[in-house]
Amino acid sequence: MKLMFDLPAIDEEVLQQNISSDERRMYCLPYNFEEEKKVEGFMVFTDKHIYKILNGALLKKYKLSEMSDFAVETHYGSCGFYAKINGNSELLCLFISGRNLPRYSVIVQACEMLVKGDNKEALTSNEPERFCPKCNRPYVVHTKICPFCQSKKEIYLKLWAMTKGLRLMMLFPLITAIIATVFRFVVPAIQKIAINEYIIPATGITGKSISGFLLIICAIVMFDLVHRILNVMQSRMAAISGNKFTRMLRTLLFEKIQMLSMSSIQNKSTGDLMGRINNDVSVVQHFITSLLPTYFAQAFSFVLALILLICLNPVMCLFVFIPLPFAITFIFKFWKYMQKRNVKAWVLARRTNMHLQDILNGIRVVKAYGNEKQAIKTFEKCTNKQAHQDESNAKLFDTVFPVLGLVVRLGSYLILMYGNILLFHGTMDVGTLNQFNTYANIIYEPLMQITAIPRNISNFLTSLGKILEILEEEPEVFDIAKPHNITIKGDINVDHVTFGYESYNPVLKNINVKVNSGEMIGIVGHSGCGKTTLINLVMRLYDVTEGKIEIDGVNIKDISQMTLRSQIGVVLQETHLFSGSIRDNIRYAKPYATNEEVINAARMANAHDFIMNLPQGYNTMVGEKGYSLSGGERQRIAIARALIHDPKILILDEATAALDTETEKLIQDAINKLTTGRTTLAIAHRLSTLRNADKILVLDHGKLAEYGTHVELLEKKGIYYGLVMAQKRAALEKSK
Amino acid sequence: MKDENIKNTAAEEEEIDLFKKRQSVQLTPENAEFIRSEGGLVSLKLKNDDGSVEFFERVLPIRSFPITDPDEFIAIREPDSKDKGKGDEIGMIRKLSDFDKAAQELLGEELQRRYFTPQLSKIYSVKDKFGYSYWEVQTSAGKISFVMNNPSSNIRTLEDGRVFIHDIDGNCFEITEPEKLDKASFRHIEIYM
Repeated sequence: MKLMFDLPAIDEEVLQQNISSDERRMYCLPYNFEEEKKVEGFMVFTDKHIYKILNGALLKKYKLSEMSDFAVETHYGSCGFYAKINGNSELLCLFISGRNLPRYSVIVQACEMLVKGDNKEALTSNEPERFCPKCNRPYVVHTKICPFCQSKKEIYLKLWAMTKGLRLMMLFPLITAIIATVFRFVVPAIQKIAINEYIIPATGITGKSISGFLLIICAIVMFDLVHRILNVMQSRMAAISGNKFTRMLRTLLFEKIQMLSMSSIQNKSTGDLMGRINNDVSVVQHFITSLLPTYFAQAFSFVLALILLICLNPVMCLFVFIPLPFAITFIFKFWKYMQKRNVKAWVLARRTNMHLQDILNGIRVVKAYGNEKQAIKTFEKCTNKQAHQDESNAKLFDTVFPVLGLVVRLGSYLILMYGNILLFHGTMDVGTLNQFNTYANIIYEPLMQITAIPRNISNFLTSLGKILEILEEEPEVFDIAKPHNITIKGDINVDHVTFGYESYNPVLKNINVKVNSGEMIGIVGHSGCGKTTLINLVMRLYDVTEGKIEIDGVNIKDISQMTLRSQIGVVLQETHLFSGSIRDNIRYAKPYATNEEVINAARMANAHDFIMNLPQGYNTMVGEKGYSLSGGERQRIAIARALIHDPKILILDEATAALDTETEKLIQDAINKLTTGRTTLAIAHRLSTLRNADKILVLDHGKLAEYGTHVELLEKKGIYYGLVMAQKRAALEKSK
Repeated sequence: MKDENIKNTAAEEEEIDLFKKRQSVQLTPENAEFIRSEGGLVSLKLKNDDGSVEFFERVLPIRSFPITDPDEFIAIREPDSKDKGKGDEIGMIRKLSDFDKAAQELLGEELQRRYFTPQLSKIYSVKDKFGYSYWEVQTSAGKISFVMNNPSSNIRTLEDGRVFIHDIDGNCFEITEPEKLDKASFRHIEIYM
């Protein structure tokens, strides 16, 4: 997110006049309101002052050393940036919330640092920009695509590169479409011969003429047949290439999403990603394999018809085009008007639906308060309105649409009129007139759909942009060129590690811990102190901001992610079991594990007994639609899953937090078994779980507060001691 | 054991303390005096029932019914702060008109700022593109262009006929009498009413 905006020239000039040479410009943000008017002003933050500049005038200059209590307040319709100046509250500026609230939130922090004299480096924000810096319009939701500014040429080029290997396949529908069009033009030409040579002369059926006539009929049927066959082929090819394209694109997208790092995935919602894989791919595919050939064929036949018409009779050709401008304007106007009315109908229908849902969901409340009559009344009002709108829309459409057809075909009537005059004069024959008229109709045909083209293209471009955005995203965590594939022993060295999801807000500060192979380390601390973050760093779901993490003396950035994670076992508080059998879930990390290995892992996790009590044993289906297991049972399966590949490092993230004491005991027992010989990092709320920990690591507000054995820390009477005492007390209360 | 018990009660008290909130009082011209602060904001001198006088360097007026009854039931609150957290409600003004003109003006000014809803007087254009609708309008705050993502749910018509428009940025606009807009403008919002 941008925190340093460029000042317009006149504002820059003013600033230059007022700023002293030793001042450093740190941030520059826009502000949006002044005295109830929308303005384009700027707040410039240096290491000594805040300047408020509007349209080439310095409105105010604040001295940072006199300021304190910076705050952002959300109002209705705007936000305010406040501070105290020599102890007196003052409003510094007003700004639009959606655009600038995240920026000013960073600035509040930044100003506090500046006041303290901490001005080494300007803060930055990882928060994604939501508005196009060029045109100030919002990006498409969850993306960095500005539909107005994205380069269309670039997108088309990228699409072209993507179709490699599919091009021949995709060319085929185009070719068949063109051939089919050509055949379409041949039929009227033969008809012309039939009319001129056989029907008009009416010499009666003689032996000679009947054979010629039959030949012509056959030819017409043949050509029509070939035309239709080609059409069928085109559709079939479109289906084949379309699906191939979809499959390719979906796989590509899914692969990419899997490869992206946690931080970029967390910025996107599941629904959004699913939408891109399903809907956007469909839109793109439909456009490329179905709409594009159609448009192409239509454009081709338009040009072909035009040439033929001019060849046949240039003057008459004019009549085809005279009504066209009127017809097209009329069509556009009508669709626009109709669209508005459709929106209105849609809004009303939605309102009725919402109302219905609201009432039906709350039917108990309605009945409890005896409000049925009122509900019926409001519903009636809604449906009546909707019915009226629908009725009037339908009436209008059914009246105007045929008229529209008439207007479009106005040219045909003109041709007939002019053609008949020519006929009487003998300068044209009936066959040619018929041929001419048929071609003219080919020109008119696509007109009715012409309004949909711009919308289809823009939908296609937006969807394609969304897909390309994911495909082009660079994962933040990546393997080095030649990563090490080491066999992990289990020494972990966290060396001066600092990390924040947002750079201005470090979650972990300068953490230094050495863990020897085989040790069990308990990580405790208040919620939000960075326990899970520390573990995420060891798994390298994120890269550290400063410092390094080493495993067996090798920086984890140099180890391939595959190697690293395949040797770490993880049990999380929220266990996600995939749909499939228990066996599938246990061997998730090692798909070809033998049954024996599965059973051993389950035994280690104290899961074997309860699994054997299920009617289908290890083949019992679990997951979304399967057998519902209790929290403790799921947890034990998760532990078995973590054990199956015999990891040298084991991570337990509050694995026992949500369990009752009985199951906790079972799991505790399992954990005791599985920690032997493994380096274990365990986060626990219940300190009793950490009874066997070799060392306890206490985090406090992102800092390493205490590190030592249980006994050592108790003697120290610090944070850990406080936590232990608090839990003891709580347990006592309960037992009372 | 005893020692622990004592600690326990101390902790409990602390907890109760956390939940202890200021008792909101009714503010009248008799017990409340609103003064313009040094920084141009609103200060409050409050006479408590026991005769003591409290001074608040800055207070915020918050409307209970900002849309239907903006000048009734206005809560007066302390601002949020880092060390004290959410600001407490000091008291409630029943009717703004109970106060003298100076106070009304002072509070009105602050309210105007906190509930910034420019009046929309003309709609130049509405363009639907890429799933958003782009508006160009004339308002009491000047010419503004804004973007809406779902007009049917962000244009709200009240029973008294007023129309409220919320855009993607958190801006709000009001049309007090939509029928009085010129025809072209009215047509743009008509479909959502």
